[in-house]
Amino acid sequence: MTATTLTRTWREPAATRDGLARLAPLDGELWASRLLTDRRCATRQQTADLARITAEVRSRARHLGAAALVLTGSTARGRRSAVSDLDYHVIGARPRLDDLPAEIDLYCDEPAEFLTKLERGDDFAHWTVRHGCVLFDSGALHEAAAYAADRDLWPDPERKLRQARRALDFAERLLASDDHAASHEQVRGALSLTARWWLLAHDVFPLARAELPAQLAMLRQPALARALQAAIHDRPDTEDLSAFLAVARSLTG
Amino acid sequence: MSPKAKVVVAREHLTKARQETDGGDLRDAVQWAFASLEAAIDALAAPHAIAIDEKHWRRTAAAKELYERGVLPKDLSDLHQELNHFRKAVFYEGEDLNAEEIEIEETLADVETAVSIAEDDGGLGAEDGEKES
Repeated sequence: MTATTLTRTWREPAATRDGLARLAPLDGELWASRLLTDRRCATRQQTADLARITAEVRSRARHLGAAALVLTGSTARGRRSAVSDLDYHVIGARPRLDDLPAEIDLYCDEPAEFLTKLERGDDFAHWTVRHGCVLFDSGALHEAAAYAADRDLWPDPERKLRQARRALDFAERLLASDDHAASHEQVRGALSLTARWWLLAHDVFPLARAELPAQLAMLRQPALARALQAAIHDRPDTEDLSAFLAVARSLTG
Repeated sequence: MSPKAKVVVAREHLTKARQETDGGDLRDAVQWAFASLEAAIDALAAPHAIAIDEKHWRRTAAAKELYERGVLPKDLSDLHQELNHFRKAVFYEGEDLNAEEIEIEETLADVETAVSIAEDDGGLGAEDGEKES
Protein backbone atom coordinates (compact mmCIF):
# COMPACT_ATOMS: atom_id res chain seq x y z
CA MET A 1 0.00 0.00 0.00
CA THR A 2 1.39 3.43 -0.95
CA ALA A 3 0.97 6.53 1.12
CA THR A 4 -0.86 9.41 -0.50
CA THR A 5 0.05 12.99 0.35
CA LEU A 6 -2.82 15.44 0.16
CA THR A 7 -1.57 18.93 -0.58
CA ARG A 8 -3.84 21.82 0.30
CA THR A 9 -3.64 24.78 -2.04
CA TRP A 10 -4.56 28.35 -1.12
CA ARG A 11 -7.65 29.80 -2.76
CA GLU A 12 -8.60 33.39 -2.15
CA PRO A 13 -11.59 33.48 0.22
CA ALA A 14 -14.99 34.11 -1.33
CA ALA A 15 -16.27 37.63 -0.64
CA THR A 16 -18.90 36.24 1.70
CA ARG A 17 -19.36 36.19 5.43
CA ASP A 18 -18.11 32.61 5.75
CA GLY A 19 -15.44 32.94 3.05
CA LEU A 20 -12.46 32.78 5.37
CA ALA A 21 -13.91 30.26 7.81
CA ARG A 22 -14.51 27.85 4.92
CA LEU A 23 -10.75 27.68 4.37
CA ALA A 24 -10.08 26.59 7.97
CA PRO A 25 -7.95 25.08 9.29
CA LEU A 26 -5.35 27.59 8.16
CA ASP A 27 -2.46 25.28 8.91
CA GLY A 28 1.19 25.72 8.01
CA GLU A 29 0.85 23.90 4.72
CA LEU A 30 -2.01 26.06 3.52
CA TRP A 31 -0.25 29.21 4.66
CA ALA A 32 2.92 28.26 2.80
CA SER A 33 0.77 27.81 -0.28
CA ARG A 34 -0.70 31.28 0.25
CA LEU A 35 2.73 32.89 0.53
CA LEU A 36 3.75 31.32 -2.76
CA THR A 37 0.50 32.26 -4.48
CA ASP A 38 0.62 35.83 -3.17
CA ARG A 39 4.20 36.41 -4.25
CA ARG A 40 3.28 35.33 -7.78
CA CYS A 41 0.17 37.50 -7.62
CA ALA A 42 2.15 40.57 -6.50
CA THR A 43 4.56 40.07 -9.38
CA ARG A 44 1.71 39.72 -11.85
CA GLN A 45 -0.24 42.76 -10.63
CA GLN A 46 2.58 45.32 -10.62
CA THR A 47 4.33 47.21 -13.36
CA ALA A 48 8.12 47.33 -13.23
CA ASP A 49 7.98 50.80 -11.65
CA LEU A 50 5.54 49.70 -8.95
CA ALA A 51 7.56 46.55 -8.30
CA ARG A 52 10.67 48.66 -7.72
CA ILE A 53 8.82 50.78 -5.17
CA THR A 54 7.45 47.66 -3.47
CA ALA A 55 10.94 46.15 -3.29
CA GLU A 56 12.12 49.30 -1.53
CA VAL A 57 9.18 49.26 0.90
CA ARG A 58 9.87 45.60 1.62
CA SER A 59 13.56 46.26 2.25
CA ARG A 60 12.84 49.15 4.64
CA ALA A 61 10.14 47.22 6.52
CA ARG A 62 12.46 44.25 6.95
CA HIS A 63 15.26 46.55 8.10
CA LEU A 64 12.98 47.80 10.89
CA GLY A 65 12.18 44.23 11.92
CA ALA A 66 8.58 44.13 10.67
CA ALA A 67 6.72 40.87 11.26
CA ALA A 68 4.80 41.04 7.97
CA LEU A 69 4.20 43.20 4.92
CA VAL A 70 1.12 42.95 2.72
CA LEU A 71 0.28 44.63 -0.58
CA THR A 72 -3.36 45.67 -0.34
CA GLY A 73 -6.02 47.65 -2.16
CA SER A 74 -6.52 47.94 -5.90
CA THR A 75 -2.96 46.91 -6.76
CA ALA A 76 -3.32 43.62 -4.90
CA ARG A 77 -6.59 43.03 -6.74
CA GLY A 78 -5.20 43.99 -10.14
CA ARG A 79 -7.80 46.77 -10.39
CA ARG A 80 -5.76 49.95 -10.39
CA SER A 81 -7.37 53.08 -11.82
CA ALA A 82 -6.06 56.57 -12.54
CA VAL A 83 -6.83 57.55 -8.94
CA SER A 84 -5.40 54.50 -7.17
CA ASP A 85 -2.92 54.72 -4.33
CA LEU A 86 -0.27 52.12 -3.70
CA ASP A 87 -1.42 50.52 -0.44
CA TYR A 88 0.50 48.42 2.06
CA HIS A 89 -0.17 47.06 5.52
CA VAL A 90 2.90 46.49 7.66
CA ILE A 91 2.76 44.52 10.88
CA GLY A 92 5.49 46.31 12.79
CA ALA A 93 7.10 49.73 12.81
CA ARG A 94 6.36 52.35 10.17
CA PRO A 95 9.21 52.85 7.69
CA ARG A 96 9.79 56.29 6.15
CA LEU A 97 8.57 56.30 2.56
CA ASP A 98 8.24 60.01 1.84
CA ASP A 99 11.04 59.98 -0.73
CA LEU A 100 9.37 57.35 -2.91
CA PRO A 101 7.72 58.61 -6.12
CA ALA A 102 4.16 57.38 -5.61
CA GLU A 103 0.92 58.01 -3.74
CA ILE A 104 1.59 55.49 -0.98
CA ASP A 105 -0.85 54.60 1.78
CA LEU A 106 0.79 52.65 4.55
CA TYR A 107 -1.18 51.14 7.44
CA CYS A 108 0.90 50.03 10.38
CA ASP A 109 -0.04 47.88 13.37
CA GLU A 110 1.93 45.97 15.94
CA PRO A 111 0.86 42.28 16.03
CA ALA A 112 -1.26 42.58 19.18
CA GLU A 113 -2.92 45.74 17.85
CA PHE A 114 -3.69 43.97 14.58
CA LEU A 115 -5.48 41.16 16.44
CA THR A 116 -7.44 43.73 18.40
CA LYS A 117 -8.51 45.43 15.17
CA LEU A 118 -9.72 42.12 13.75
CA GLU A 119 -11.63 41.46 16.94
CA ARG A 120 -13.31 44.87 16.96
CA GLY A 121 -14.31 44.59 13.30
CA ASP A 122 -11.90 46.93 11.53
CA ASP A 123 -12.54 46.18 7.86
CA PHE A 124 -9.06 47.31 6.72
CA ALA A 125 -7.49 44.65 8.96
CA HIS A 126 -9.93 42.06 7.63
CA TRP A 127 -9.19 43.13 4.07
CA THR A 128 -5.48 42.52 4.62
CA VAL A 129 -6.10 39.05 6.01
CA ARG A 130 -8.56 38.02 3.31
CA HIS A 131 -7.45 39.63 0.09
CA GLY A 132 -3.99 41.13 0.59
CA CYS A 133 -0.92 39.85 -1.27
CA VAL A 134 1.42 38.78 1.53
CA LEU A 135 4.95 39.88 0.63
CA PHE A 136 6.53 38.35 3.73
CA ASP A 137 5.30 36.99 7.03
CA SER A 138 7.25 35.73 10.00
CA GLY A 139 4.09 34.16 11.45
CA ALA A 140 2.15 37.10 12.89
CA LEU A 141 -0.18 37.37 9.92
CA HIS A 142 -0.71 33.62 9.78
CA GLU A 143 -1.66 33.68 13.45
CA ALA A 144 -4.06 36.57 12.85
CA ALA A 145 -5.68 34.88 9.86
CA ALA A 146 -6.18 31.64 11.79
CA TYR A 147 -7.60 33.66 14.70
CA ALA A 148 -10.12 35.36 12.41
CA ALA A 149 -11.04 32.13 10.60
CA ASP A 150 -11.47 30.08 13.77
CA ARG A 151 -13.75 32.71 15.32
CA ASP A 152 -15.53 33.52 12.06
CA LEU A 153 -14.83 37.22 12.64
CA TRP A 154 -16.57 39.77 10.43
CA PRO A 155 -16.08 43.55 10.09
CA ASP A 156 -18.50 45.72 12.04
CA PRO A 157 -21.00 47.35 9.64
CA GLU A 158 -22.14 49.89 12.27
CA ARG A 159 -18.59 51.16 12.57
CA LYS A 160 -18.48 51.63 8.80
CA LEU A 161 -21.84 53.38 8.85
CA ARG A 162 -20.58 55.91 11.39
CA GLN A 163 -17.52 56.57 9.20
CA ALA A 164 -19.69 56.92 6.10
CA ARG A 165 -22.04 59.42 7.75
CA ARG A 166 -19.17 61.54 8.98
CA ALA A 167 -17.46 61.40 5.58
CA LEU A 168 -20.69 62.43 3.86
CA ASP A 169 -21.02 65.37 6.27
CA PHE A 170 -17.54 66.60 5.42
CA ALA A 171 -17.95 66.00 1.69
CA GLU A 172 -21.12 68.13 1.72
CA ARG A 173 -19.31 70.98 3.45
CA LEU A 174 -16.36 70.76 1.09
CA LEU A 175 -18.67 70.73 -1.92
CA ALA A 176 -20.22 73.97 -0.68
CA SER A 177 -16.75 75.56 -0.52
CA ASP A 178 -16.27 75.56 -4.32
CA ASP A 179 -13.05 73.50 -4.16
CA HIS A 180 -14.13 71.13 -6.90
CA ALA A 181 -11.08 68.88 -7.14
CA ALA A 182 -10.94 68.31 -3.38
CA SER A 183 -14.71 67.81 -3.30
CA HIS A 184 -14.57 65.18 -6.01
CA GLU A 185 -11.99 63.22 -4.05
CA GLN A 186 -13.99 63.49 -0.82
CA VAL A 187 -17.27 62.50 -2.48
CA ARG A 188 -15.58 59.50 -4.07
CA GLY A 189 -14.22 58.50 -0.67
CA ALA A 190 -17.55 59.02 1.09
CA LEU A 191 -19.36 56.94 -1.54
CA SER A 192 -16.75 54.17 -1.13
CA LEU A 193 -17.33 54.14 2.63
CA THR A 194 -21.09 54.05 2.09
CA ALA A 195 -20.70 51.16 -0.36
CA ARG A 196 -18.48 49.24 2.07
CA TRP A 197 -21.01 49.69 4.87
CA TRP A 198 -23.89 48.55 2.67
CA LEU A 199 -22.03 45.45 1.49
CA LEU A 200 -20.86 44.45 4.98
CA ALA A 201 -24.38 44.89 6.31
CA HIS A 202 -25.54 42.45 3.64
CA ASP A 203 -22.83 39.85 4.35
CA VAL A 204 -20.74 40.68 1.29
CA PHE A 205 -17.07 41.51 1.78
CA PRO A 206 -16.15 44.72 -0.08
CA LEU A 207 -13.22 44.27 -2.47
CA ALA A 208 -11.19 47.01 -4.19
CA ARG A 209 -12.90 50.34 -4.84
CA ALA A 210 -13.21 49.71 -8.58
CA GLU A 211 -15.00 46.43 -7.81
CA LEU A 212 -17.57 47.94 -5.45
CA PRO A 213 -20.03 49.10 -8.15
CA ALA A 214 -20.36 45.54 -9.49
CA GLN A 215 -20.76 44.19 -5.96
CA LEU A 216 -23.48 46.78 -5.28
CA ALA A 217 -25.25 45.91 -8.52
CA MET A 218 -25.31 42.26 -7.46
CA LEU A 219 -27.11 43.39 -4.30
CA ARG A 220 -29.64 45.35 -6.36
CA GLN A 221 -28.31 48.73 -5.32
CA PRO A 222 -27.92 50.27 -8.79
CA ALA A 223 -28.18 53.96 -7.83
CA LEU A 224 -25.21 53.87 -5.48
CA ALA A 225 -23.35 51.63 -7.95
CA ARG A 226 -23.83 54.18 -10.75
CA ALA A 227 -22.85 57.10 -8.54
CA LEU A 228 -19.66 55.40 -7.37
CA GLN A 229 -18.78 54.25 -10.87
CA ALA A 230 -19.10 57.81 -12.15
CA ALA A 231 -17.15 59.24 -9.21
CA ILE A 232 -14.28 56.85 -9.95
CA HIS A 233 -14.11 57.01 -13.73
CA ASP A 234 -15.77 60.26 -14.86
CA ARG A 235 -15.33 63.96 -14.21
CA PRO A 236 -18.64 64.84 -12.57
CA ASP A 237 -19.57 68.49 -12.10
CA THR A 238 -20.72 69.99 -8.81
CA GLU A 239 -24.35 69.20 -9.52
CA ASP A 240 -23.50 65.57 -10.21
CA LEU A 241 -21.46 65.30 -7.01
CA SER A 242 -24.34 66.76 -5.03
CA ALA A 243 -26.72 64.20 -6.57
CA PHE A 244 -24.29 61.38 -5.72
CA LEU A 245 -24.22 62.49 -2.09
CA ALA A 246 -28.01 62.54 -2.02
CA VAL A 247 -28.07 58.92 -3.19
CA ALA A 248 -25.72 57.92 -0.38
CA ARG A 249 -27.65 59.99 2.16
CA SER A 250 -30.89 58.26 1.24
CA LEU A 251 -29.28 55.02 2.41
CA THR A 252 -27.33 56.13 5.46
CA GLY A 253 -30.03 58.42 6.86
CA MET B 1 -19.77 80.45 -12.40
CA SER B 2 -16.00 80.59 -12.72
CA PRO B 3 -14.06 78.64 -10.13
CA LYS B 4 -12.52 80.48 -7.23
CA ALA B 5 -8.79 81.06 -7.32
CA LYS B 6 -6.87 78.50 -5.31
CA VAL B 7 -5.58 81.17 -2.98
CA VAL B 8 -9.12 82.25 -2.10
CA VAL B 9 -10.07 78.63 -1.45
CA ALA B 10 -6.95 78.19 0.68
CA ARG B 11 -7.88 81.16 2.88
CA GLU B 12 -11.49 80.00 3.29
CA HIS B 13 -10.41 76.47 4.22
CA LEU B 14 -7.94 77.85 6.76
CA THR B 15 -10.69 79.94 8.33
CA LYS B 16 -12.78 76.78 8.73
CA ALA B 17 -9.81 74.93 10.21
CA ARG B 18 -9.51 77.66 12.84
CA GLN B 19 -13.23 77.55 13.58
CA GLU B 20 -13.12 73.77 14.06
CA THR B 21 -10.05 74.09 16.28
CA ASP B 22 -11.78 76.72 18.40
CA GLY B 23 -14.82 74.46 18.60
CA GLY B 24 -12.66 71.55 19.75
CA ASP B 25 -13.12 69.31 16.70
CA LEU B 26 -9.59 68.32 15.78
CA ARG B 27 -10.74 65.80 13.21
CA ASP B 28 -12.44 68.38 11.01
CA ALA B 29 -9.72 70.92 11.79
CA VAL B 30 -7.16 68.55 10.26
CA GLN B 31 -9.32 67.99 7.19
CA TRP B 32 -9.67 71.71 6.53
CA ALA B 33 -6.01 72.42 7.33
CA PHE B 34 -4.93 69.81 4.80
CA ALA B 35 -7.30 71.16 2.15
CA SER B 36 -6.00 74.68 2.81
CA LEU B 37 -2.35 73.67 2.56
CA GLU B 38 -3.00 71.77 -0.67
CA ALA B 39 -4.72 74.78 -2.22
CA ALA B 40 -1.92 77.10 -1.06
CA ILE B 41 0.74 74.81 -2.56
CA ASP B 42 -1.21 74.71 -5.82
CA ALA B 43 -1.42 78.50 -5.85
CA LEU B 44 2.32 78.85 -5.23
CA ALA B 45 3.43 76.05 -7.55
CA ALA B 46 1.63 77.39 -10.64
CA PRO B 47 3.53 80.68 -11.06
CA HIS B 48 6.80 78.94 -10.23
CA ALA B 49 6.20 76.26 -12.89
CA ILE B 50 6.31 73.37 -10.45
CA ALA B 51 4.30 70.40 -11.72
CA ILE B 52 1.62 69.08 -9.36
CA ASP B 53 -0.46 66.86 -11.66
CA GLU B 54 -3.16 66.97 -8.96
CA LYS B 55 -1.35 64.32 -6.92
CA HIS B 56 -0.79 64.54 -3.18
CA TRP B 57 2.76 63.19 -3.27
CA ARG B 58 3.72 65.75 -5.89
CA ARG B 59 2.43 68.48 -3.60
CA THR B 60 4.66 67.11 -0.85
CA ALA B 61 7.62 67.39 -3.23
CA ALA B 62 6.44 70.85 -4.35
CA ALA B 63 6.40 72.07 -0.73
CA LYS B 64 10.04 71.05 -0.42
CA GLU B 65 10.95 72.64 -3.75
CA LEU B 66 9.19 75.89 -2.84
CA TYR B 67 11.35 76.03 0.29
CA GLU B 68 14.53 75.25 -1.63
CA ARG B 69 13.73 78.03 -4.10
CA GLY B 70 13.21 80.47 -1.25
CA VAL B 71 9.49 80.91 -1.88
CA LEU B 72 8.54 79.42 1.49
CA PRO B 73 10.63 80.21 4.58
CA LYS B 74 10.17 76.68 5.91
CA ASP B 75 10.04 73.20 4.40
CA LEU B 76 6.39 72.19 4.79
CA SER B 77 6.72 68.81 3.07
CA ASP B 78 6.70 66.88 6.36
CA LEU B 79 3.66 68.85 7.54
CA HIS B 80 1.86 68.13 4.27
CA GLN B 81 2.58 64.44 4.58
CA GLU B 82 1.59 64.33 8.24
CA LEU B 83 -1.71 66.09 7.57
CA ASN B 84 -2.40 63.72 4.67
CA HIS B 85 -1.78 60.78 6.99
CA PHE B 86 -4.01 62.19 9.74
CA ARG B 87 -6.88 63.15 7.45
CA LYS B 88 -6.89 59.67 5.88
CA ALA B 89 -6.91 58.09 9.34
CA VAL B 90 -9.85 60.31 10.27
CA PHE B 91 -11.74 59.95 7.01
CA TYR B 92 -11.23 56.31 6.10
CA GLU B 93 -10.55 54.68 9.45
CA GLY B 94 -12.71 56.85 11.67
CA GLU B 95 -9.81 57.49 14.03
CA ASP B 96 -10.05 60.08 16.75
CA LEU B 97 -7.33 62.66 17.16
CA ASN B 98 -6.21 64.15 20.41
CA ALA B 99 -4.08 67.14 21.22
CA GLU B 100 -1.03 64.98 21.95
CA GLU B 101 -0.98 63.63 18.41
CA ILE B 102 -0.88 66.94 16.60
CA GLU B 103 0.29 70.43 17.51
CA ILE B 104 -2.71 72.08 15.92
CA GLU B 105 -1.80 75.70 16.66
CA GLU B 106 1.69 75.20 15.24
CA THR B 107 0.16 73.44 12.25
CA LEU B 108 -2.27 76.27 11.57
CA ALA B 109 0.50 78.82 11.91
CA ASP B 110 2.55 77.00 9.26
CA VAL B 111 -0.44 76.75 6.94
CA GLU B 112 -1.13 80.45 7.55
CA THR B 113 2.42 81.22 6.38
CA ALA B 114 1.87 79.33 3.13
CA VAL B 115 -1.52 80.95 2.51
CA SER B 116 -0.22 84.46 3.24
CA ILE B 117 2.72 84.04 0.89
CA ALA B 118 0.37 82.69 -1.79
CA GLU B 119 -1.79 85.79 -1.33
CA ASP B 120 1.25 88.07 -1.60
CA ASP B 121 2.43 86.08 -4.63
CA GLY B 122 -0.62 87.11 -6.61
CA GLY B 123 -2.90 84.18 -5.98
CA LEU B 124 -2.62 82.53 -9.36
CA GLY B 125 -3.68 78.95 -9.92
CA ALA B 126 -7.41 78.79 -10.45
CA GLU B 127 -8.83 75.45 -9.67
CA ASP B 128 -9.10 72.72 -12.25
CA GLY B 129 -8.36 69.06 -12.61
CA GLU B 130 -8.62 66.24 -10.16
CA LYS B 131 -6.68 65.07 -7.16
CA GLU B 132 -5.47 61.55 -6.76
CA SER B 133 -6.68 59.69 -3.76
